[in-house]
Formats: sequence, C-alpha cells, structure tokens
Amino acid sequence: MSSEPIERRVSYIGDRLRGSRCSLCGKEYFRPRDYCGTCGRKSFEKMQDMDFFYKKGELEVCTLVKEPTNKFTRLGPYVYGIISFDDGQVRVPGRLTDRLLTNKEIDVTALEGREVVPRFRRRYAVEQSDVIPTIALAFTLAEEYYPHQEHQIVKPQKEYERPGIVGYGAYTSKFRIKESAVERSVPFIDEDSITAAVEAGKMAIIHSGIDPLMVAKVYVGSESNPYAVKPIASKVAQVLKLGEEDKERGVQTVDAVDTEFACKAATCMFKDASALVYYPSARGHFTMVIGTDNSQAAPRDEPGGELDFFVGYGASAFIFGMSDVIAEMEDWCSCTSDTPDFWRRDQESYPRHGGRFTGEPAYFKHVTKAAEKLMDKMRLQPKDVTYFVSHQPNVAFPIKVANQLGFKEEQFMPGIQVTRFGNTYSGSSPIGLAAVLDIAKPHDRIVMVSYGSGAGSDAYSLLVTDQILDKRNRQKFTIRYQAENKSLEYVDYETYRRLKLGM
Amino acid sequence: MTHSHPVIIGVGRTKFGEHYEREPEKLIEEAWLKASVSAGIERKDLDAGYLADYFLPITNKIGIEEGFLSELTELHMPMEKTRSFSSALLNACTAIQAGRYDLVLVGGVEKMTDRWDKIRDDLMLLEDPWSYYAGSTPEANHELMLREYVKRHRLAGSELETFNMALAQIAVKNHKNAVQNEYAQYQREITVETVLKERKKAQKPLGLFDFAPVSDGATAIILANPEKAKKTADPPVYVAASDSATDYVTYPARDDITGFIASAIAMRNALKKAEITQNDIQIAELYDQSTFLEMVSLEDLGFSKRGTAWQSIAESLNDSQRFYRVNDKELYVNTNGGLKADGNPLGATGGAQIYEIVHQLQGKAGNRQVTTGTDLQLGCALELEGFGTKAYVHILKRGD
Repeated sequence: MSSEPIERRVSYIGDRLRGSRCSLCGKEYFRPRDYCGTCGRKSFEKMQDMDFFYKKGELEVCTLVKEPTNKFTRLGPYVYGIISFDDGQVRVPGRLTDRLLTNKEIDVTALEGREVVPRFRRRYAVEQSDVIPTIALAFTLAEEYYPHQEHQIVKPQKEYERPGIVGYGAYTSKFRIKESAVERSVPFIDEDSITAAVEAGKMAIIHSGIDPLMVAKVYVGSESNPYAVKPIASKVAQVLKLGEEDKERGVQTVDAVDTEFACKAATCMFKDASALVYYPSARGHFTMVIGTDNSQAAPRDEPGGELDFFVGYGASAFIFGMSDVIAEMEDWCSCTSDTPDFWRRDQESYPRHGGRFTGEPAYFKHVTKAAEKLMDKMRLQPKDVTYFVSHQPNVAFPIKVANQLGFKEEQFMPGIQVTRFGNTYSGSSPIGLAAVLDIAKPHDRIVMVSYGSGAGSDAYSLLVTDQILDKRNRQKFTIRYQAENKSLEYVDYETYRRLKLGM
Repeated sequence: MTHSHPVIIGVGRTKFGEHYEREPEKLIEEAWLKASVSAGIERKDLDAGYLADYFLPITNKIGIEEGFLSELTELHMPMEKTRSFSSALLNACTAIQAGRYDLVLVGGVEKMTDRWDKIRDDLMLLEDPWSYYAGSTPEANHELMLREYVKRHRLAGSELETFNMALAQIAVKNHKNAVQNEYAQYQREITVETVLKERKKAQKPLGLFDFAPVSDGATAIILANPEKAKKTADPPVYVAASDSATDYVTYPARDDITGFIASAIAMRNALKKAEITQNDIQIAELYDQSTFLEMVSLEDLGFSKRGTAWQSIAESLNDSQRFYRVNDKELYVNTNGGLKADGNPLGATGGAQIYEIVHQLQGKAGNRQVTTGTDLQLGCALELEGFGTKAYVHILKRGD
C-alpha cells in the first residue's frame, strides 16, 4: 500500500525536478534545500527555488537495465543513467523512456553525451488500489520526437475587448499503430491521461508565453482518468505551478476541476473558461482547458471491441485570456439530449456502444444542430468560415457532416486529424482545432463543433488575430511535426494493447 | 604498541549462504557462542553489546533485534544497534577508549534469503531512494561507475581488454581463496571463462560472477580494554585505528562518480591515527560488492594511483600470485574469498573481514594462511554502507 505523505513529498519534488540555487555562490542542487554545502551558514535564507522541468540535460553515462527491481519489470529492458544539467552543475539519476528495447545488444556508448529532455511519466507500477506514482526523472533524447523548448514569460502587449485563446499545445505520443489508412497514437507503457494532460499543458504554457502564476482555473476533461475519484486537474496545477504558489504550504492559489461528458468533456468548458477571464475581478488572469484521453476500448473480440479500431491517445490544452489573444471567441452554441449511445458503468474497464456507430440519432443530429444554430445566430454562411473542425470518431463522420453543412474540402480537411492520431476522445476536436490554428492566418474564422456521447455538441466561432504569427515560432511541437516525425515508432497489435494497458 | 588500543580477544562466525531452516537469532547465537569460546569468557563478563543488521526488521518482520542477544546472554546490559558491523565495532572501540566499558560484544547478523522476492527492491531503496525512483538497480550503479572510470582514464583497445580481464581475475582469485574457507558461501573455483561467459550472456561489462551474492549469516567478536582484560589471545590483535566518513546518499549527485571519496577520507584518518602509511599494510579485506569495487577500492585507499589499480591486478594475477604487487610491495586482498565468494550478509559482512584479518595476523588461517617475507603485522578492512554513502576503515595490528 502506498504512503500518502511519502507519495506527496516524492512527487512534489520529482514531478517538476525542484531544486535550489545558492544566491551567494551559484551552486545548484536537485531537491530544494535551505543551506548551501559550500557557503555554509551564511547561505541560510539565501537559497533560491529553481527547477529543471523546462531544462535540457545531458546523458553523461548509462547502462542497460534488463533485470529491474520489481516495480519496474513491466517496463521491459530500459536504459538507466546519470543526467547532468547546467554544464554538469547538477546530476540526477534518470531513466530513458519511450524506447521499446528487445533483448538484443544496444550500444549505450552511442547514447552517452546526448542531450535529453525531462518528461512527465508514471514512476513505476503499483497495486490497482494505490496512489499512482509519477516522476520527471524519465527522459527522452532531445533530437528525437519530443524537442526541448525554453519557457519564456512574455509580458502581455495587447489587451482585447473579448476573451479568446492566448496559447495552445497538443501532445501525442511517439508510438503509432498503423492499420490500413489510419494511424493512431499509442501511449508508451508509462503514459496515461494524467501524463498527457501535463505534457499538453506544458506545451500550451510555452506557446502562450504567459506566467503560469496568472492562471486562475484549470479544467481537465477526460473519460479515462485512471482514478474514479481524484482529479487530474490537481496534478496539472501542482506540476505546472498554476496560480500563485504558497511555498510554505506547497499549495497553488488556483481552482482546478475535472469535467466529464464523453468526447466533449473539454470543449464544453471553453465558454466557461472564456467567461471567467472576462469577469472584472479576474482581469489579467488566464484559464486553461485540457482535453486528455488514453481512449478506452475493449479488445476486438470482446463486446465494445469495435472501438479498438479507432482509439488514439493524446491531449490538447488551450489557454484563455484577454491579452495577447491569437483567436477571439466570437460566439458559441451548445445542445444536449439524453441519448445513450455510448457509456461506461462504474467499475467497468471499457465503454460500451450501442453496437453500431450511432451516427444518425447521435453524432449528426447534435453536430448539425449546434453548428447551424451558431451560424444562424451569427448570420454566417459557410463561405464566411475559413476552417471547419468537428469531432472525429472516424474519418467518414466529419467529412459527411461538413458536406451536409455545406463546407468544402479545403475548409474541413485541414482539421481532420483522426487518420494520424486516431480518436483521441476529449482531445479529438481540440487536436483538429490545434492543427488548424497551426496554419491559420490573421482574420481567418474557425468554426469548431465537438460531440460528446450521452449526448451533446458545443459549437464555437473563433476569429484569428494578428498575434498568432508572433507566437507561432515559439512552438516546434506542432500537429504536423507530431504526425510526420521521423522518430515515430510503429508497433503491432499485441504491443499496442500492452502499452495501452499501461503499468 | 600503545595499549590504549582495544584488543580483539575472540572471534566467531557462521557459514555464509542460505540458512533456510534457521531463524536469525539462531545465527547470531552460533556466532556469539563461538566468539565467547574463543575468548574464554562468560556472558556475565560482558559490559555491553553492539549489534549490527542492515535491514533485518524489514526483511524478517521482527521486533527489536537487541532482544535476540539479550535473550541469549540473559543479561540486561546496554546494547546498541547499528547498520553495519564496522559501525558497531567503531562504537565499541570508542566506548572502550572512553573508559566506559571494558569488555564488549560486537555482533552482526543478516538474513536476506528470507525475502528473496523483494530483496533487490529493498536494497536499492535503502541504498539510494532517488536512484530507485528513477529505475536504478543494485547492479546499475556499479556499471555506471565502471563506465565513468573507463571514460575518465580513456581505456580502450588492448588496455580495456586487460582491464576487463583483470576484473574477471579478481572473481577467480576470490573464489580460489574461498575454497580454503570452510565458512564461505562458495567453496569452489571458477575460471575466467565462466566470468566472461556470464558477462557475454548479460551483454554487460559486469556479469553474474562479478557481483557478490545475497547471503544469510552472522559474525561476532569480543573486544576488550587491553589493560583490564584477564587474558588476551596469543598473539593479541589490536584495533589500531577505527574511522569512518560519509557521502551523499544520491550517488549521481556526488562531485566524483568514479570512486568513493568517503573511503579515501576514512583511510586517511585511520592511517594518521595508526601512525603508519598504506604501504605498511600487508593484508586488506575490501568491500567487493563487485569485482570493480575491489579494484577501485585499491585506489580509494591509496594503495594504487588513480587509474592504475587494474594494471597491478592484471600483472600480479597473470603470474598466478595470490597477492597484488602495489608500490613494490605485496598486498593480500580478500584472502577469505571476499564478499564475492565468502558471502555478503550485509550486517555481518564486516565481522567476517575482521575474523579473517585476526586469523591471518595470528597465523591461524590454516590452508589459506598467507606467507610473506616478513611476518604479518598490519591489516585493514574497508566496509561500505550503501553505494559508498558511508565508509569504515579499521586497521588491525598484531601485538607481541
């Protein structure tokens, strides 16, 4: 059984690689300390907090671990070694993750001296009933899939009349399964919807340039939270240091909540997140909405197994605010009905389906209703819209609904990403939105319509601003970069199931 | 010899290995009874006890370990528990030198095979928690240090081959020594080919035969104030110096990761107290959790210059000698078989080192008695806790 206080302390430090710097001599330490070993007593109260979460390290020396300790056995063989930061000032132990190693010999010498980036992962396997341990002492090579990106806080330059998106990030894993024309993102064995949420949030912070302490609330939508009770949002808030930090108590002054409504769990909060930053006393603050899923599906030969051909893995995060907006929120419209087209009962591992893809009474009805209502309200014609993005459980539905609504291929194809990542559930239409924002020009209008089983849709109209161009070069980890990356690794069906099940 | 140095008047130990049927208290009982017999003392003569175990309460789910000895001695004497035998010995020496006690029992016990399934997790977690969280194993740190050593000293080609061979020869030498040690866990010889085969199987620079095993066992010695002791062994063996030093628990965070600074500091201080140099030492028991550690300890303790110990080892063992030729002198290392072949029941291991040196200095080591040009006078033992987090050096000197 896990110890709550020990878990709290280890993950508080290890999730973000917190440390200290002596303001007298500059010596850095992994793990916070009140006292510099070199400077002695005069350093007391002169130690500055720091962390290595956004830094790049160097793998100094490593070895292949083939017989790990018990909690690590599910990882299979892995590379373990010593990582240094800041030109060797600080050294930490670390595991290389995102590597599927077989028992054949690997050349560890070739890995030594390479640059690595800290990632946020599950620490090791525990009992089903235990607290899930996490850590950032898991690294990937900087030149591979996941690039190192600096986090620079940029002072807000322009205020807007209405709220909108000020930054975003999408995260999908390095692994893929490819079947016929569809590629789907597969988590590594130490990933889950919590780790993806943190990675996406980190990307959004980097892209937006905001100071995380100005975030007032974080919403995390998911249907695959590994906990039935315990929010993902609290982990995100703690690791990303959202809101003002009370160092004494280790508490962030931020609101955090998980939301659930199948695949629209995240998008339904876009308007709430926008409304909150519009509130007079919240001026200058930001909100973050994350959609994250290790999309669940039973194995193919079991009931509900038809989903197993489409599910992906990934998360997206959007930051809303009133300053340095890249896409203004023009208007929205939502609709809801009690349609039981997809569900998962408590204690069941996998969701069930109506037994067919419930397009007509579910997906199409709600998506078209929300889209048409929004466009009516705003008096928009399809030609007034540059990009149309909708929820994409497969490739046929979003194309069909876009055609029904009168959109042309050049309007809807850029937002269809299901063939590259699979259905990322709560992250599905948001990843489509991210793909479109990656390429949008100032004054483009984007209409996005989500769909969540159960059932309902949220339609949004977003107007792209000039500032989208300023921020674009801050984000290397774009949708296209992730989809067409040379480091992608393709796995077979057995491996995909094993990785998806996790540790 | 100044007589303020505590004198060892008796030693005892069990066989190391797996003691499936025996409870931990039975092991310490055997060691203590043997030590008391060899010292010729009665339990009521004891003033105090120092008992070591590294993690017996975790592996064996037992109560307060001091209770074992208390039940065995039926004495309500002061008793303290430490993690390593050397720590117990250091505390006992301090107490005797301070004049607090005159006759002290020092013991160590460990029963690792009772928790075979999770022993490596426990070992790693205790040794270095943050490395454990990051995925380290008890073997991985040795491999990393070896790789750093090879890089630091730019070993490549035939030099690297000789280096690897020298490490293999250490294992062979230690197994050979253990054949003559009736208490050793592995009383059988191995060949260089066996060591290399296991490395090849693991595809690593260190294989199964480079590492010390998991063991059960117990050791005990009786330590006395030489001025108060009714009789001492013949010849008496004194603890000429007892020292220790510490380092970070997180191995990667240390300034130098190619050796143990704690060993170097402890040795330096011990030599100063014993008023000798390392060249005066003729026999050494080193903490060879891996063959690499036996080699690097030669450098940590100043017997060899940094980056050269493997050469001395290779040259000496190529000549089928039992000693290493360092600084033009013969140094016998791990004559009992070392941790590799004698066994490594953590809390008891240091006691086996002392047991061996006492026997060698007294000339009572039987078939494994080392012969040197001059009589054996000085020996030293290095024991570590964790991966170099704590180092103890004891220098033993033979009296007249």
